[in-house]
Amino acid sequence: MTLGYPASPYTTRRRSLVARVADRESVLRRLDWVLLAAVIGLVAIGSLLVWSATRQRMIDADLDPQTFLQRNLLNIGIGLALGLATALFDYRMLRAYAPFVYGASVLGLLAVLSPLGSTINGSHSWIVLPAGFSVQPSEFAKVALCVALPMILAERRDGEAEPSLTDVLLALGVAAVPAVLIMLQPDLGTTIVIGAIVVGVLAVAGTPTRWILGLLAAGALAAVVAIQVGVLEQYQLDRFAAFADPSKDPRGVGYNTNQARIAIGSGGLTGKGLFEGSQTSGKFVPEQQTDFVFTVAGEELGFVGGAAIIVLLGILLWRALRIALRAEDLFGTLMATGIACWFTFQAFENIGMTLGIMPVTGVPLPFVSYGGSSMFANMMAVGLLQNVHMRRYA
Amino acid sequence: MTPPRRSVPPRTPPRTAAARTGGRAAAAAPARPRPPRSAAPPRPPRPPRPPRPPRTLRLGDSSRRLHGALIAAAVVLSLFGGRLLDLQAVQAPENAARAEAGRLRTVELPAARGEITDVHGTVLATSVEARNVTADQTLVEDPATSAALLAPVLGVNAAGQQELQERLTGTKRFVYLARQVTPEAWEQVSDLELPGIFSEPTTRRVYPASGLAASVVGFVGREGDGRGGIELAYQQELAGLDGVLTYEAGAGGRQIPTDSAAEEEPVAGSDIRLTIDRDIQWQAQHLLEAKVEEANADSGTVVVLDTRTGAIRALATAPTFDPGDLGSASAEDIGNRALSDIYEPGSTSKIMTAAAVLEEGALRAGSTVVVPASRNGTSVGLKLGEKVFHDHADHGVERLTFTGVLAKSSNIGTIIAAKKIGKDRLYGYLKKFGIGEPTGLGFPGESKGLLTAPATWSPEQFGTVAFGQGLSLNAVQAASVFATIANNGVRVQPSLVAGTVAPDGSFVASGAPSTTRVVSARTAATLRAMLESVVSDEGTAPMAKIPGYRVAGKTGTANRVDPACSCYRGYTASFIGFAPADQPRLVVAVTLQNPRNGHYGGRLAGPVFRDVMAFALQSMKVPPTGTAPPRLKLTAP
Repeated sequence: MTLGYPASPYTTRRRSLVARVADRESVLRRLDWVLLAAVIGLVAIGSLLVWSATRQRMIDADLDPQTFLQRNLLNIGIGLALGLATALFDYRMLRAYAPFVYGASVLGLLAVLSPLGSTINGSHSWIVLPAGFSVQPSEFAKVALCVALPMILAERRDGEAEPSLTDVLLALGVAAVPAVLIMLQPDLGTTIVIGAIVVGVLAVAGTPTRWILGLLAAGALAAVVAIQVGVLEQYQLDRFAAFADPSKDPRGVGYNTNQARIAIGSGGLTGKGLFEGSQTSGKFVPEQQTDFVFTVAGEELGFVGGAAIIVLLGILLWRALRIALRAEDLFGTLMATGIACWFTFQAFENIGMTLGIMPVTGVPLPFVSYGGSSMFANMMAVGLLQNVHMRRYA
Repeated sequence: MTPPRRSVPPRTPPRTAAARTGGRAAAAAPARPRPPRSAAPPRPPRPPRPPRPPRTLRLGDSSRRLHGALIAAAVVLSLFGGRLLDLQAVQAPENAARAEAGRLRTVELPAARGEITDVHGTVLATSVEARNVTADQTLVEDPATSAALLAPVLGVNAAGQQELQERLTGTKRFVYLARQVTPEAWEQVSDLELPGIFSEPTTRRVYPASGLAASVVGFVGREGDGRGGIELAYQQELAGLDGVLTYEAGAGGRQIPTDSAAEEEPVAGSDIRLTIDRDIQWQAQHLLEAKVEEANADSGTVVVLDTRTGAIRALATAPTFDPGDLGSASAEDIGNRALSDIYEPGSTSKIMTAAAVLEEGALRAGSTVVVPASRNGTSVGLKLGEKVFHDHADHGVERLTFTGVLAKSSNIGTIIAAKKIGKDRLYGYLKKFGIGEPTGLGFPGESKGLLTAPATWSPEQFGTVAFGQGLSLNAVQAASVFATIANNGVRVQPSLVAGTVAPDGSFVASGAPSTTRVVSARTAATLRAMLESVVSDEGTAPMAKIPGYRVAGKTGTANRVDPACSCYRGYTASFIGFAPADQPRLVVAVTLQNPRNGHYGGRLAGPVFRDVMAFALQSMKVPPTGTAPPRLKLTAP
């Protein structure tokens, strides 16, 4: 195609955009479109839910009811850009930079515990930046860990079927640093997510089963010790107690669980319609745009909406595990595995707690909950998945 | 379990090729086989696997574990779906009902309470919007801090703050923190955004005229319901019908805008228009209070009665109270003395005896009555039964006309006259004048007075009843007796309420008062002329004269029954009269209980009568009749 220009010697080498896009080897061709579609579907539903959850609150506070919608869309835009950048940077090169990524995330977590950090909603997890922005380094620590752990475990000499004890211990040590820092914030939910990533990556790296079981047992022991010693805050223990019996104190710690269940249950099969949920407009469920966003879907979109989110998350997990299976190298497999574990655990924990089948710990629902840092980290993780996917045959 | 490796072999050749030849070259290869779809058509039996090239990584364990993870994730997600279905389909009605129960709130919408106005529509009592501040103790997070923040806004002191804190502490879902605060105060409370603090709409009763006519208007209780006076007597008319609002509220108690609220509109109460004239009332009250203080009396009343309609134009009592500030009023002042306090009227009652004697034709105005000598404290006087009666001033044997008996207020002369008709007939007239009968006002706390049947009367009591002791009445009844004479012998039942004004503004007048003829017009006219001589210089109340108007009236200086000892102690000083004497329009009855600076009715009550009557006549634009009073002889030849 000449588009009016005379043929020049360069035209044969510089093909048109259309031709390049249509080419079998084009980046677009090699993207995992199903994964991307699932992500787009989730952020689209998420935006509507965040909008609905915050609309009435903002009206009551005499603020612009579209505030959260606009910010969420901005977050999605920035997140997509970050994801694209992550996808284009060849992940095999990333191995070389993994120590720096990891180091930066640890520094971020240390900054949170320094006077730079701020407390929001009882968790000291934030660094407030000028111009009304704030970041949550623990979200980015998950990304860093999904890069750092595979780097250690994939550095394996030929023929070795399983990682050496040294590698496993090193991996555990690498994971322990951010885990402890996050636990100090305290953010129990994110700490458990990191645990899930560690166990998943170790398992897929070929760590013998007995070691995995031993690790899980050690984790359980650590939990018991933590409760005994008093590392956990009282509210965290209360939440677990409330999980066991939400009706024990319906106005106190069981309140969230009860209200979430009522909101979801009152939605019925087809829901009350967007913006029509009276439990949502009535602000019965606290933190509804973040941790309890699924209740908005349950009430306003009903079973249809809730199931759609579960199906989309299911597709996301399926594609992530599929990418792990088909990855070019062990590093790619482990990275995809870590991300899959991360999303899986957060989805299970978040939906589980709103449905009353998991205790309440504050983790966001990937791509659906409101929150800039979480959205950016999720999008970067998707970028990494696409990165691994795109370079299968390269 | 077979390792699910189906997807690996087909892509192996190109991958290894690509790895060895470099990306670009492999990409340019035209016929790279695409990985087969999982939903591919049935394939032929698989050929034996080609030997795998040496791999740098072993995915055996990995892929098995990844597939396991995929299956586990699918199982868990299905469980979630099942749980969702359980919550939203199986348990849906129950959850929806719980949701509704948590949201539905009913609020009583108070009906606007009617106003109480004077006869011209001047507001004496009205209601303004207010808020009751309430709390849900289970939602209050920090009672101490909340109380500290609320105290200055609600205007309570340190003790009040302590009480607030106590009311904020506990597990009750509903307690009152403050009642009837102004909407501005609630706005300030609301701005504090304290959890668990709510409000309900209510109204507050205000009395713009402060204590004016308080004894008539009455007062309301804490809930805004009438507890005294007209507020109580006309509670049903004033209150209207409360409405109910059922709405869905959010966790903060605010109404959820997305849901429609069911509302039962309140029906506003009617206004009550009194017969009271604010200006006359104010004048009467003002003058009475001054006189009660000057005479150091226990209390006093002034009744201004329209002789033709029975409408009470003013009804003042002293001391009185401010219905907007009941806390600082003493208990005995809250009420209406002119209706609830009964007393022995004394000489003002003599006109009933005189009317009866005249009506029965036993005496005429000019008839001679020989009054025997009387000396107080001795046996010189008129003996009746065991008792010797005296006049208030000592005198020898006097020959008075019947008019003179009344003008000089001779007890002995009145007894002599009464004996001419006997106790049964006297009793009949007293009853017809309304003694011992309810006034018909239906006023709360009203006392109808005491008049025993004549069969029980001793000879002594017959004597005392004739000149106004041994029977009791209230001030309105006393005024009504004079109004009957003024109204040509026809008694008109007194009234306090001119009518009601419905919420739509339509006025419904009270029914016409019942009327009864007590004495003939001729008797009434004779008596009026006789009463005019009381106000003459020779009578007992020259101080009641009003320049330009003809005034008729009667003084009363009665022995007062002290309820503390059930004995006679102190006096009841009164003057009741009407004007203009020849075409009467108004009766003014002034009564002072237990005055200590002087006790003669003419001297104490007369000036109050004069000032109130003069003001009322001018206020009602009653012109002087311009006629000359008759000159009746007081003494007989």
